[in-house]
Amino acid sequence: MLTVGDLPQRELAARLAGPGLVLRTGPFANRIRSDVPQLATGIGLLYADYPVDEPGGFADFHLSLQRAGGLRRLLRPQVHFDYEGVAPFQPLPLAHAYPMFEWVMNWCVSHRAHSYLILHAAVLERHGRAVVLPAPPGSGKSTLCAALVTRGWRLLSDEMTLVSLDNGSVLPLPRPVSLKNQSIGVIRAFAPDAVLSTPVEKTAKGTIAHLKAPAESIARAAEPARPAFIVFPRYEAQAPISLRPLPKARAFMGVAENAFNYQVLGARGFGALGALIDATTAFEFRYSKLDEAVQLFERLAKDGA
Amino acid sequence: MWRVVPGQSLAFREWDEEAVLYNDLSGGTHLLDGAAVDVLLALRAGPADAAALAERLAGRFEADTDELRAMIEDMLAGLARLDLVEPYPC
Repeated sequence: MLTVGDLPQRELAARLAGPGLVLRTGPFANRIRSDVPQLATGIGLLYADYPVDEPGGFADFHLSLQRAGGLRRLLRPQVHFDYEGVAPFQPLPLAHAYPMFEWVMNWCVSHRAHSYLILHAAVLERHGRAVVLPAPPGSGKSTLCAALVTRGWRLLSDEMTLVSLDNGSVLPLPRPVSLKNQSIGVIRAFAPDAVLSTPVEKTAKGTIAHLKAPAESIARAAEPARPAFIVFPRYEAQAPISLRPLPKARAFMGVAENAFNYQVLGARGFGALGALIDATTAFEFRYSKLDEAVQLFERLAKDGA
Repeated sequence: MWRVVPGQSLAFREWDEEAVLYNDLSGGTHLLDGAAVDVLLALRAGPADAAALAERLAGRFEADTDELRAMIEDMLAGLARLDLVEPYPC
């Protein structure tokens, strides 16, 4: 199977600038067209292990990120995005092209992939047990997710958990893990060998860098996982580590609040979320030290309780 | 007299004395006490007032009839605010 890493950099840039790079991420094929050099570099680094299809192949999503034309391009280089001819985002400075690409990839799934219940949650697996981490921004979800990934957990997703509407299993969508501000240095110190993109400063979310997903997680992207735990994480400086059971009905409401399309799916979403809650044990988790958090998660996945 | 609002299928899941219920009319989901679900299910059998519901549910709660009726009246008012039940003309 051809991967991005098999393509010479010149071929990668030519596909992006021409007919489009058809990149496979989990269950989706994405046709990406772009004339932005930073994007070719970022994709070459962080998506090297991902399969690519022939340029003319079927794609679920059609993304175009192009440099803005005209005088503005000379004065203030910008990149704009359109999805099948529609532009849902404001143009951004050209230097923000890579983070914008990741946001756009997320946007396509959260706005279009309604054959799944999509949770705003990270999901990882270890010892055959998947742990779902639903959380709003600022909870430390991505930092915790990145730390677990660097300690051998299988990454299913950092940002979007895809729950099957049929059987409550979780479908992998492993993509680079988004790290913000201080988290970038924290993960560099925690896992010095981890591959991170060059940080991009002054984005709408502050400084952003992405952690490369493990090759093994990408290779297992067609293999669903059985959810065993739902853990609502919260980072709190100096807080002692704590894991408190959360009643199932409350966990249901907490997950629904962190879903992208629960309302859109109506009764089907209610059924799928009920199945997920049935299959899992839920906790509220507070932490301040990553080492302690990783040890606790290891015990949770190993012992199952 | 009260009845379940027509169109509400009362899809719910209950765990540990708490329930979540899907509201077919608003598309929302409500977190309810398990007892409120008991009231809804009792009402699904047919329109009733709080006194009749208290009789139907007497076996499920440890409360005297007056206390139970007052509790059910409060619950019905709360369920009406969620558009799950409504007054039913006698």
